[in-house]
Amino acid sequence: MGRYVVRRLLQMIPVFVGATLLIFLMVNVMGDPIAGLCGERECDPATAAQLRKEFGLDKPVWEQYLTYMGNVFTGDFGTAFNGQPVTELMGSAFPVTIRLTVVAIVFEIVIGITLGVLTGLRRGRPVDTTVLLVTLVVISVPTFVTGLLLQLLLGVEWGWVRPSVSSEARFDELILPGLVLASVSLAYVTRLTRTSIAENRRSDYVRTAVAKGLPRRRVITRHLMRNSLIPVVTFIGTDIGALMGGAIVTERIFNIHGVGYQLYQGILRQNTQTVVGFVTVLVLVFLLANLLVDLLYAVLDPRIRYV
Amino acid sequence: MLLDVRDLHVEFRTRDGIAKAVNGVTYSVDAGETLAVLGESGSGKSVTAQAVMGILDMPPGRITGGEVLFQGRDLLKLKEEERRKVRGAEMAMIFQDALSALNPVLTVGDQLGEMFVVHRGMSKKDARARAVELMDRVRIPGAKERVRQYPHQFSGGMRQRIMIAMALALEPALIIADEPTTALDVTVQAQVMELLAELRRELNMGLILITHDLGVVADVADRIAVMYAGRIVESSPVHDIYKAPAHPYTRGLLDSIPRLDQKGQELYAIKGLPPSLLNIPPGCAFHPRCPMARDVCRTDVPPLYEVSEERGSACHFWRECLHG
Amino acid sequence: MSDPREPARAIAGTGMGGAMDLAASEAETLERAPGGPDGGAPTGKPRSLWSDAWHDLRRNPVFLVSALVILFLIFISLWPSAIASGSPLRCDLAKAQEGSQPGAPFGYDGQGCDVYTRTVYGARTSVAVGVCATLGVAVLGSVLGGLAGFFGGVWDSILSRITDIFFAIPVVLGGLVLLSVVTSSTIWPVIGFMVLLGWPQISRIARGAVITAKQNDYVQAARALGASNSRLLLRHIAPNAVAPVIVVATIALGTYIALEATLSYLGVGLKPPSVSWGIDISAASPYIRNAPHALLWPSGALAVTVLAFIMLGDAVRDALDPRLR
Repeated sequence: MGRYVVRRLLQMIPVFVGATLLIFLMVNVMGDPIAGLCGERECDPATAAQLRKEFGLDKPVWEQYLTYMGNVFTGDFGTAFNGQPVTELMGSAFPVTIRLTVVAIVFEIVIGITLGVLTGLRRGRPVDTTVLLVTLVVISVPTFVTGLLLQLLLGVEWGWVRPSVSSEARFDELILPGLVLASVSLAYVTRLTRTSIAENRRSDYVRTAVAKGLPRRRVITRHLMRNSLIPVVTFIGTDIGALMGGAIVTERIFNIHGVGYQLYQGILRQNTQTVVGFVTVLVLVFLLANLLVDLLYAVLDPRIRYV
Repeated sequence: MLLDVRDLHVEFRTRDGIAKAVNGVTYSVDAGETLAVLGESGSGKSVTAQAVMGILDMPPGRITGGEVLFQGRDLLKLKEEERRKVRGAEMAMIFQDALSALNPVLTVGDQLGEMFVVHRGMSKKDARARAVELMDRVRIPGAKERVRQYPHQFSGGMRQRIMIAMALALEPALIIADEPTTALDVTVQAQVMELLAELRRELNMGLILITHDLGVVADVADRIAVMYAGRIVESSPVHDIYKAPAHPYTRGLLDSIPRLDQKGQELYAIKGLPPSLLNIPPGCAFHPRCPMARDVCRTDVPPLYEVSEERGSACHFWRECLHG
Repeated sequence: MSDPREPARAIAGTGMGGAMDLAASEAETLERAPGGPDGGAPTGKPRSLWSDAWHDLRRNPVFLVSALVILFLIFISLWPSAIASGSPLRCDLAKAQEGSQPGAPFGYDGQGCDVYTRTVYGARTSVAVGVCATLGVAVLGSVLGGLAGFFGGVWDSILSRITDIFFAIPVVLGGLVLLSVVTSSTIWPVIGFMVLLGWPQISRIARGAVITAKQNDYVQAARALGASNSRLLLRHIAPNAVAPVIVVATIALGTYIALEATLSYLGVGLKPPSVSWGIDISAASPYIRNAPHALLWPSGALAVTVLAFIMLGDAVRDALDPRLR
């Protein structure tokens, strides 16, 4: 197990470097990072040259990347162009997005798995068909449309929740945004659980469990679900990274000042260090979440052994 | 009588129509007796067993008639909760493929102990101790350590021993073994079969042995019921049937066993295919494949004629078959 | 035990001997024959995977409905003027935010443009982006993935690592970064971005499908008979590996249409004067309270379009996956 983890961590390095380099190049390609600096006016050439030197922008791109990554590993993510250290921005943005992600994951687990188990056990019945249709619709409507519609209905028309989130972004304010963020994954979790339950329900070991005279409840929870939820747990685990990276849209709709908001600002202001810094952390989260899922897999399914 | 199945009918709804899997099966097993149920795939032997056990998938399955009398009670009339208490405790089942029949993510100790926890209300610790005892009893070496292992860590023969242990856990009065050795290597088959027979004797249980292997049957069974297209076509004490089958289908089965003294000769084969359960031929279901078939076989369903006090044959011409 | 017939393998390789083995294997063939076991001998000739799938699809209402929707969409993207007489760019500020009325069944948006006309014309953009991006992704992805799967070795490892890298970058984020500086108002930058970030998904599928197909006995046989690599790939492997690619690409087409709208909503996708559902939804969102119709119509059109492609892909997959029968 230990050796497996080490090997996986080593394998993560090229992916990490590749992904961050790709983003670094994209940000550099996307335009002149100095342009946004001098406010509305165009920079005069002397100031521009000085700024360029100050930020190391006169050096070749690969050298800039190495310098930047070197700094990152000493904990210095650089300075946002408003003068704030990027780490400070992260300190305020990540807790918000993590709270939002947690709410989303809770929705996926509670609603997604419950609906999946219910429909999986009642395959072909009206409940099943209805839920299946709803999940298809949810998957098809882009998140920003779902978000806008729910905001309009629940926030504006019916007044159940506040349509936008305060800067504190407390858990109770994040319920609706969390649901919106989770919506598509929620539909996938439901379908995945349903398929998995329906498939395993016909399996020999479930028949054995029934033949043993176990109560239906025990057959379902201890035998059927324990096996069927393995792929679902895997999906939810890998979804963590995707949710955090995909929060941009949700955060924009509900005006939440999280990672997506900061990234959006960074991109608008063409601020290399903010963008690359945030993306670096997101990529790390994604890779670590995947590793955790693989390790969790071995815990859940004893047939899998890592060497 | 321990188990008395009377005129059982089971159907399945499929996309292509209604499949009549069991069409009036009648058989019985006494305490301490071994009944072998013989037949090809699709003859309804496993479906009958599942209906007796109460583990038929319904839907698509449906029991359309008959009685399953177990120790005097009709199981088909019991409520599901009472039925559940019978399963595992008073009658138990051994499945063919232990690898898929055991839960892959639970230790064998958990799966064995579960019987005691659920049916006897034991603590997990006591149940674990009983699981070790059971594994000793089916002669799994190192039971104390191996109780913590998962099914995939055992060999095929050892896994089937665990299945047997699970079925024996609560010392039921009846065991139904559905092809218990088919998935095993030939060398291991005999050991597992012997073990099962021995434990059955010790506990004086009734055993229904579902198989298509005539070799296994001769050694362990007291009586044989041969099934074809969801019906019993012949039922007889084991030795009589080998001497002189009273149904042409049984004769065909016996003739198609390869024999050492016939080396070099062409192997006998029953011509044709088993019928589709969606469309069973009228009259005797076997008539399209039967070398003795006559006009009456195409129109009249043969009842189970009494051949002798202990024998029955569902052939209009059982006399000819018996003596020819 | 949903099937009343017990598995035929119960019989195979046992002491019962020839008769039963033969009977069992033939029974199995019979069961698998299309049309189901209807008592008699199988009379229909064996069908290929595709004609078998087509046979299933023709009876599947989900497939029929989604295919009709898609045909309709293609029709109005080619000839929008057939059902909408006006121009999507002719707007009258005086009518801004007005609701449904004769001549303008969907009402007017914030700029006083006719929502009905704009929604009809928006289909063209969405379909064009979806189709072009999917074609690009499918060609690039299946060529790269297929070659890597076929030849294996170093190139396969390198390709796998590269796809890992692309999977680690959140798509919307990549779109924001890459497209935020683009000033072109054509659809090509958006399509280019989708191909750039989308190909690894298809390449992974194609690679897996090729590796599976490569192990088939007939491919090994063809190889043993001295077939060249290109012949193996084109004649033996490609026809068998193409099914999963088509399924994933169909579903992806729907998601690309949704992605285009999302990027346009974020302000980095298409830009006016392009006519796109994403642009219209984005423009309508600030005054959602006063003129919800300006948001609802393009949203509905978008949802129906994406749904149609996803359902089509779903139906095709079910038809092609023999395990589900």
